[in-house]
Amino acid sequence: MDKTLSKTLPNFRPKKTPAKKTVKEIIYHVVGIVLSLIFLFPIIYMIATSTKSESAYASSLGSVNMFLPDFANLGTMLDNYKNVLVNYDIWKYALNSFLYAIIVIVLNVIINGLAGYVMAKLVFPGKKLLSFLIIFLIVVPVETSIIPLYSIVKVMLGLKQQMSVIGVILPASISIFNIFLFTQFFEGIPKEYEEAARIDGANTMGVFMKVIMPLSKPIIATVAVFCFIGVWNDYLWPSMILPSADEGAWPLLPIQTALISIQSIEGITTGEIMASLIITSIPIFIIYVVAQKYIVQGFGTAGLKM
Amino acid sequence: MFNTTLIILAVFIIVFLGFAVYDLAVAKKRKQVYRAKSSLTAYLMLLPAVILAFLFILLPILYSLGYAFTDYYLLKPNEINFVWFDNFKDFFEELSTKGTLYNAIKNTLVFVVGVVPLQIGLALLLSLFVNRDGVGSKIFKVCFFAPVVISLSVTSFLWLQILAPGENGLLNALLGIFGIPPHDWLKDPNTAMPCIIILSAWQGCGYQMLIFLSGLSNIRKELYEAASLDGANGWRKFWLVTWPGLRSTFVYIIITVFIGACRILTQPMLMTGYMDHTVTLSYYMYQQGYVYRWVGYSSAVALLMTIFIGAITLIQRRIFREEK
Repeated sequence: MDKTLSKTLPNFRPKKTPAKKTVKEIIYHVVGIVLSLIFLFPIIYMIATSTKSESAYASSLGSVNMFLPDFANLGTMLDNYKNVLVNYDIWKYALNSFLYAIIVIVLNVIINGLAGYVMAKLVFPGKKLLSFLIIFLIVVPVETSIIPLYSIVKVMLGLKQQMSVIGVILPASISIFNIFLFTQFFEGIPKEYEEAARIDGANTMGVFMKVIMPLSKPIIATVAVFCFIGVWNDYLWPSMILPSADEGAWPLLPIQTALISIQSIEGITTGEIMASLIITSIPIFIIYVVAQKYIVQGFGTAGLKM
Repeated sequence: MFNTTLIILAVFIIVFLGFAVYDLAVAKKRKQVYRAKSSLTAYLMLLPAVILAFLFILLPILYSLGYAFTDYYLLKPNEINFVWFDNFKDFFEELSTKGTLYNAIKNTLVFVVGVVPLQIGLALLLSLFVNRDGVGSKIFKVCFFAPVVISLSVTSFLWLQILAPGENGLLNALLGIFGIPPHDWLKDPNTAMPCIIILSAWQGCGYQMLIFLSGLSNIRKELYEAASLDGANGWRKFWLVTWPGLRSTFVYIIITVFIGACRILTQPMLMTGYMDHTVTLSYYMYQQGYVYRWVGYSSAVALLMTIFIGAITLIQRRIFREEK
């Protein structure tokens, strides 16, 4: 210790002068602003373009106006939004996605929550096999089974179009990782809570609904937020399992899948495309702002996966 | 197919009963008792999850293993023949013709080699940049994170407009200011994959930045103070304190980004369609299985891909563990 101390002592630098510090701060913020603009330029462009008619867009190209909303025609700024919402029915697809998301969240929390509770708190013969299966399915990367899943669901549901909604909802309602999250969380709830309820005469299901669930709001919120983002952003699976737009599936399509169909509508303008993209992104943006806490919590638990 | 499902279900139940009986026997030996009523409740509460997990998780995995050795054609689900390794033979024959499959593998490798260092490097630099107190850094953090909020399909459509050919696209318009002629970025085999790499890194790196930030916040401040006392400059502090402290975060990020990059599908699918210069392995698999309906062959490709990803992931873990 003495040795290192004596060696380092001459290296003590004088404290930075205030002027030097201010210069450093200014440089930091200038660099930060430039970087932020580089990161945001596609988004700024998207927002700006969504306010423009096709001719306004064409004339803005090549000047700063590309990144500025169409201030010249304030009255018609929101026309694109009105068009895509009303004429192209985006609000219906958004509603579809909301309904899918809400059903999936409810099923996901109940089904995986029950399983997580059993794995955390109850003893029964055969538990070891199930715990092993859970760990195995989390560790092994199996994203590549979407085609067999498709064939199973297709055979299971038959050819009725209305049934395909079930094909969108049910596979999304089970998540081994969520069972794992719930199990981890429930294991941390002290036994005393349950015992108190049992003395009052509650059965296992009653304990789960009246004692465990109210104590588990944080984990339920985390699962719900990630479910919502997952369902809202998914386009591949619904586009496979729901009949295509020309087969009359328009009333069933979620928003991301509908977005693909909307792109190919004849005569759609760049501004309208951008407006539809923004409308699609707004709910996720709101979720990120409102549920920030739970998303960060999810990050923390996602780290456990390794 | 219905029959095989029943057989798998029977095997699953028998295995489960075997484990249950074993558990009961062990309990008896140790003079413990399982209460019948409580066990029954447990089974009932597990039932929905077990049914769904069996149908939508376990069964697809087993099927994709099984289909890989059959000639299953989706439109003829009643004529499935066992063909041993024919699908794998087809795979390597197709590969040797240097056709679409060859391009798919090449493009996937290009994407992985490009995007993994770019995205992780960017994420690390940005996290170091915003890892300080003050209002400014908080706002910058939000700006860098903003693209993550946009879904991959929205990102693809947005960049489709930015990279649009002719003078209508944003990038061409910007370059036009400097007198550079317009270019069809996504049709040109030389620029298509780099564009997809850049937009993917742009969309994704904010997420890894947040994970790096949580890793940085776990490094104890005293270590930095100790390093300053020892006369370390910024660079040495990074190598001696920050880098070792971030090691486990880094391993986590490199493996998840690598696996995600291997699976790339959305961007080429929505931006260019099934083209030789942008097709990727996942896209090839999807096209063979879903569009051409060769489920057997597609499952074989999937199996090879899973083995490849699994092997590389294991190697990565080994390397980083040993360095410790």
